[in-house]
Amino acid sequence: MAQHGGPQQRIFSPLRTALHRFAFILLILSAFGLMLLGKADTVLIERIRAASADLVSPVMNIVSRPAASINEITDKIYNLANLYEENERLRRENQQLLAWQQAARNLSYENERLRDLASYTSPPALNLVTSRVIADMGGAYAHNVMISAGSRDGVSKGQAVLSDEGLVGRVAEAGYQASRVLLITDINSRVPVVIESSRDRAFLSGDNTNRPLLTFLTADASVAPGDRVLTSGDGGAFPSGIPIGIVSSVSENAVRVSPMFRRHQLEYLRVANYGLHGILSETRIRQSRPADNANSTGLSPEIPVGVGIVPVEPAGNAQ
Amino acid sequence: MKPGVWQRLDLVARGLLPAFSVFVLLLVNLLPISVPLLSTASPALALMAVFYWSVNRPDLLTAVAAFLLGLIQDLLMGLPLGVSSLVLLLVQTGSASQGRFFHNKPFSVMWWGFALVAIPALLVQWLLSSALIGALLPIKATMISYVLTALLFPIVAWVLARAQNGLLRYV
Repeated sequence: MAQHGGPQQRIFSPLRTALHRFAFILLILSAFGLMLLGKADTVLIERIRAASADLVSPVMNIVSRPAASINEITDKIYNLANLYEENERLRRENQQLLAWQQAARNLSYENERLRDLASYTSPPALNLVTSRVIADMGGAYAHNVMISAGSRDGVSKGQAVLSDEGLVGRVAEAGYQASRVLLITDINSRVPVVIESSRDRAFLSGDNTNRPLLTFLTADASVAPGDRVLTSGDGGAFPSGIPIGIVSSVSENAVRVSPMFRRHQLEYLRVANYGLHGILSETRIRQSRPADNANSTGLSPEIPVGVGIVPVEPAGNAQ
Repeated sequence: MKPGVWQRLDLVARGLLPAFSVFVLLLVNLLPISVPLLSTASPALALMAVFYWSVNRPDLLTAVAAFLLGLIQDLLMGLPLGVSSLVLLLVQTGSASQGRFFHNKPFSVMWWGFALVAIPALLVQWLLSSALIGALLPIKATMISYVLTALLFPIVAWVLARAQNGLLRYV
């Protein structure tokens, strides 16, 4: 085009550069505008995110399958190499587990008897949706995964996401056929937890490393490496007692927890609907009132009655 | 000679190849890969492709396209909105204006150029993400991500060069 630059060219060329510059400035401004809009965290952005996850999920669903099979092959090679040690370890673990099984049987029998005696109403039935991890999003800046289940399968925002080992995260946005899961290691994640042995309460705050921090731990709390960390059920976001991780290091200014899952090995996840809507649903908080006693909410008494705990179907005198 | 409808459609499709390749690389970035290192810090594949196309074919990957691709990246990866848009836009504009410098030079010059451009790009991304989230993100992950991005650039550039030679020679 440049070789036949007539008088037309001479007029339009500066105009065009001016237009380009204007467009560039406009784009920069709209980028900052988007940042402000995202910061306002409107429902709109959430819907758009969910919709975009829905859009790419069919592709990711197919493409992630070969990736998974490659992973399987590397896993198999690794397993073959470590067959002997693995076998020894499993044998030892099996012995321990048999002892635990006996203990669990005794306890569940005893528990049943005691429940009969106390005429205890059991908590609402747990509704599990199993789905496949189809995308691992973020990397350095965010710890999210995409799963192949959405509102179509009964998944909704705020539900707990579990792996075989324990809590992985919660549903951040639920699209129609895919959802985004915010892992507990993400910097935006806060989970109320309790130390299993000492019953000290704290928050598990992600900081985008593989070892989230225990925050708001009281000064006299006794925490040691190796302690198990469970959800406390405070705030009603998750039920109490889901295993999360093990305290990995305790120093003067930080207690770090090693989660039960390893992010690169997440393959199948279960989304659990406990019928709790908790701190994530503001309209429900406004509707909810503290119940007179724990049993009337129809929830297990381990979950403290108070702010934001709402059963799906209020039982008894909850109205 | 006036080109027919199919010929024009073909031209349009080929012209969209750069933007489409960035989108495909975005999806590749999303693949769950069971390598421990890659789950905490992934290479910025979209950044590589945006740099490559703005140096070689700035006419086909415009500023608007870079902006929109950044928006898609933010939406899909759950990052603060607008950050990737800004970063990719700046990389596109900067590299397109300096594109001539890399023409008729050995590939290693372009590699060095990219390694230099990626530093401010990832730093801006890290700073703005930290500011918008309201807490300092661990810089270590960003550094690992930078090293991976710089090291893997030749592979991505080779693939894109093949695509460019095969499909865009007469566009």
